[in-house]
Amino acid sequence: MDMSHKSDDGKLPSRRTFIRASGVAALAGIAGCSGGGGGGGGDDGGDSGGDTTTGGDSGGGASGDTVEVLHGWTGGDGAAAADALVEAFDENVDGATLDFNPIGGGGNQNLDAVVANRLQSNDPPGSFANWPGPNLLRYEGVLGSVDDVWEENDFEEVMIQEAIDLHQQNGSYRAVPLGSHRLNCLFYNVSVVEDAGIDVDSLNSPSAFIDALQTVQNETDAIPMTHGMSGTWTTTQLWGAVMLGVNGYQPYMDFLAGEGSEDAVRAAFEATAEMLENYISEDASSIGLTQSNQNIINGDAAFIHQGNWAAGAFRNAEDFDYDEDWGFKTFPGTEGMYTLHFDSFLYPSDNPTPEATKTWLSFVGSPEAQVAFNQFKGSIPTRTDVSLDEFGPYLQETAEDFAEAEFRPPNLQHGLGVPSEVMTQLNEVISSEFTGPYNVDAATQGFLDAVSN
Amino acid sequence: MSDAEIRRADATTRVARLRRTVQQTSPGEVVLYAVLVVMAGFYLVPIESGLVTSIKTNTAIIGTAPYAPPGANGVTLEKWGTAIDALLRGMGNSLLYAVPATVISAVLGSVTAYGLTMPTWKRAYKAPLIALIVAGIFIPYQAVLVPLTQFWSQWVGIAQHLSFVWALGVPDDYAGIVELVITHVAYGLPICTLLFRTYYKTMSTEMIESARLDGASLRRVYRRIVLPLSGPMFAVVLIYQFTQIWNDLLFTLVLVSTESSPAAPVVLILAGLGSSLEGQDFALRMAGAFFAALPTLAVYIFFGEEFAEGVSA
Amino acid sequence: MFDLYRRLSGALGRSSGNDNASGNEARTDGGVVSDRSVPEPGSESDPGPLARVGAAVDRRLGSDFLESSLFWLPPFLLIALFVYGAIIWNLLISLTDYRGFANAPDYGNLDFEMYTRALADPGFIDAAVNTLILLVAFTGATLAVGLLLAILIDRGIRFENAFRTIYLLPMSLSFVVTAQFWLWMYNFNNGIVNLLLGTVGIGPISFLGDQTIVLWAVIFALMWQFSGYAMVVYLAGLRAIPTEHYEAAQVDGASTLKMYWRVIIPQLKGATISAAVVLMVFGMKAFDFLYSLVGGYRPPNGADILATKMVREAYANLNWAYGAAIAIVLFGMALAVIGPYLVYEYRRNNL
Repeated sequence: MDMSHKSDDGKLPSRRTFIRASGVAALAGIAGCSGGGGGGGGDDGGDSGGDTTTGGDSGGGASGDTVEVLHGWTGGDGAAAADALVEAFDENVDGATLDFNPIGGGGNQNLDAVVANRLQSNDPPGSFANWPGPNLLRYEGVLGSVDDVWEENDFEEVMIQEAIDLHQQNGSYRAVPLGSHRLNCLFYNVSVVEDAGIDVDSLNSPSAFIDALQTVQNETDAIPMTHGMSGTWTTTQLWGAVMLGVNGYQPYMDFLAGEGSEDAVRAAFEATAEMLENYISEDASSIGLTQSNQNIINGDAAFIHQGNWAAGAFRNAEDFDYDEDWGFKTFPGTEGMYTLHFDSFLYPSDNPTPEATKTWLSFVGSPEAQVAFNQFKGSIPTRTDVSLDEFGPYLQETAEDFAEAEFRPPNLQHGLGVPSEVMTQLNEVISSEFTGPYNVDAATQGFLDAVSN
Repeated sequence: MSDAEIRRADATTRVARLRRTVQQTSPGEVVLYAVLVVMAGFYLVPIESGLVTSIKTNTAIIGTAPYAPPGANGVTLEKWGTAIDALLRGMGNSLLYAVPATVISAVLGSVTAYGLTMPTWKRAYKAPLIALIVAGIFIPYQAVLVPLTQFWSQWVGIAQHLSFVWALGVPDDYAGIVELVITHVAYGLPICTLLFRTYYKTMSTEMIESARLDGASLRRVYRRIVLPLSGPMFAVVLIYQFTQIWNDLLFTLVLVSTESSPAAPVVLILAGLGSSLEGQDFALRMAGAFFAALPTLAVYIFFGEEFAEGVSA
Repeated sequence: MFDLYRRLSGALGRSSGNDNASGNEARTDGGVVSDRSVPEPGSESDPGPLARVGAAVDRRLGSDFLESSLFWLPPFLLIALFVYGAIIWNLLISLTDYRGFANAPDYGNLDFEMYTRALADPGFIDAAVNTLILLVAFTGATLAVGLLLAILIDRGIRFENAFRTIYLLPMSLSFVVTAQFWLWMYNFNNGIVNLLLGTVGIGPISFLGDQTIVLWAVIFALMWQFSGYAMVVYLAGLRAIPTEHYEAAQVDGASTLKMYWRVIIPQLKGATISAAVVLMVFGMKAFDFLYSLVGGYRPPNGADILATKMVREAYANLNWAYGAAIAIVLFGMALAVIGPYLVYEYRRNNL
């Protein structure tokens, strides 16, 4: 091997560290978020003005002021929200410029891979979108503390309690939340459901829901439940909702804790299998979330279970309005609950732009960012002090539901319920046992094994 | 070469004549051509379908058969525009490593093959070396990926050595391009060497022998005799290597890793296009696929003909 | 381009090329004798050095060895580093338990844990089985179609160049590109394949969604892409067969089919071997195709092969050591194909 380039201590400085050290001395003087780039909205972030910060997203000398942020919002709903977020950043923050990079691919898989590889090769981005909670485990040791960001911006005063709890690891804050999705949702196309003569509000258990699916099948030509199965995550997520709906809060929490009852898990798989065997479209296995949403928008399908990012897609569709064209029902059997999800931005400890990244994170937690982003994303702010006037009736109701919810169980598929390794395992089980044919026994066993390890 | 060509042509016509004498009947011929045309259809339909789909509007995609041309009002170049917007920078990046890597591996392949073919040393020593090189053609690249990642990211650190380039305003992602050049040269060398070696083995040794007896050095023999005669093989190797390097996804995925990188090659962007941007926008996917394939298609259609003439001459 | 691939096949297995077709008698194994009329310059039969005394010969061989090493040694070292150095390094990594964000593996504690883990991983077993199915079915089908095309084209047809060009066209395309085409071909609602099947009352079938079918759908698409290559190799092989063999068979009164079956095809052994080796290697590289189908690391259910699983484990799940172990298994499979091939080539004096 060519050892000649290897430095004596055996470890090279990272790409970015080196560049920082070798080039551009200007970086040293940046005061970054000293002014709290987000909170007040118009504050200048320090006095870094000497360098040009308005140039291209990669102009050499100014690169220290440009925080590179990776995210996965490339689909119909996410892209619009991401654009709104970037716009809000440009309007409200002067201390840094934003290089907001989308990494495409279903269920954040590709984003995670890119982030992981860059962390592994000492080339971390300034910040990246991910989920807090147990999901932080996989980044243990590579995340830095952003306690100062939380403190300076008084996030503890304004964020919902779950956000405060779930964004810490080893006693320090590692991330800042941007918004919260809800997972226990059932959306429907109003006219299809009306044609079938279904009273949606009466669907308060998975079995009632299955009966309704049968009614749709009998009465209309539409797909009773559209379900994009090109990835496994949609099915894992559906199972999570059914698990809650069939068994209730505590058995679900027991399962997450690794002490699930076999009967409860089996019952959830049986109900899920009944839905998937009979009521999804023939092409379900080759379509993804976007097309699945499209089936609802086009009136080709009656129901869809998704997180409320689907509402973002509906909102962005033309001539497709809440209550008139599409409706929402808490997933049957989970009434009074709000299955929790966070979209957050994490802080890699040796990222190349620590100050600019903190400016960015301050902005992420600000009312401006949370309003700009969440109304298009179909999620609600994690701050309790922002006005929801611009959010439209659906999200306003969601926020009310959140406030009044009896239980707020963490989601299964999106990082809050189980660590990522368990999640990978759950999806392997779905992949091998539960994508048709649906093997309830094997899937039950596989799930129980996955969480108990 | 020409000898063999003649024999081949001779054999062809004789087989043809034979066949004609055996079965003068044309039904057999009709069936033969029918099969050939059907097979041509089999190879062309996916490509043709992609081409017509790429210029269809979303309504035309649903309204017309996938192989049928769009109606007069179902034509749009919008998807091509979007695809070109998304892929153009990738085109540039791909050229940036494909061209140098192709040229370097061809030149090194020629030199290596010469060193292993013309000079006189024992076959018993040469054969194992050549076996190792040939085996290098066939290894699945997965077997070297993890060390390759380690090598580039932890050991070499191209990015550090090129800091003066980044200081000029070039994004440091372009370190990935340099890594790609070297990587493709290293893994392309075996096939290039083998191609040249096959060619050199058929070269007349008389001229070289006499030049050697006159005291010419190996280097002189290569420059004066072997290299000028290598033209046809260089054409083969350059075309083959360029196609291979341009088309490869795995190394770009591992070394550049994300389509959002400023240095992302065209295949990497294409692999994410469609699914990530617009759900399953097939018109966009097809337009992107064609755009990304243009260089290799051009090489195939144009240079292929020229090259065939060059060889048979 | 045709000549390009003919050259390529010629380089990989001279028996399939026409360079050495010189009216030799067919051997019993069907191959064409490949004795070169020009003696190997370095062989002992070279009259130049033989004419000298032994010491001079040695000196001469030695000096050329040294002088020529300037040409082949640096590139060879590059290959040795990137190919063999990397494989050995990979083997070493597969014995560690390297994972996560650590910069480098800990080489202090080597064991075979990753291999036992693989054997206990049903996903690995599935992927290994799928890899074998893919290799065998893809190679077999591609050779069969290629042979058929070669025989048809060799019947002295008109527009031979045009047909050859068309048949070989898909091979010039990237897996990334052809994956897009086949995604559209196999589309459930608007794909041509389902449209065709629909006319005979079958389907529609979810080719890429049904895990019992998807692997075969992938194999078919790969066959489409590479049967042109098999055709080129076989065509060269066919044209290396002396015309007398056709004539002799005709005199015997054998029907056309019988002639091919009994006389011609057995002589294509060399072409078959070299084409099969190349195709298997392409098959193992199907990663690009599967990745592009979904735009992500996880191929459609039922189509996971070792090549995709290795990359996913290493680069998506950061199980570096486990990925390295899978890579070693894949390498072993490749070796099982290449090893005998190299021995075969060596015995035929092709190295």
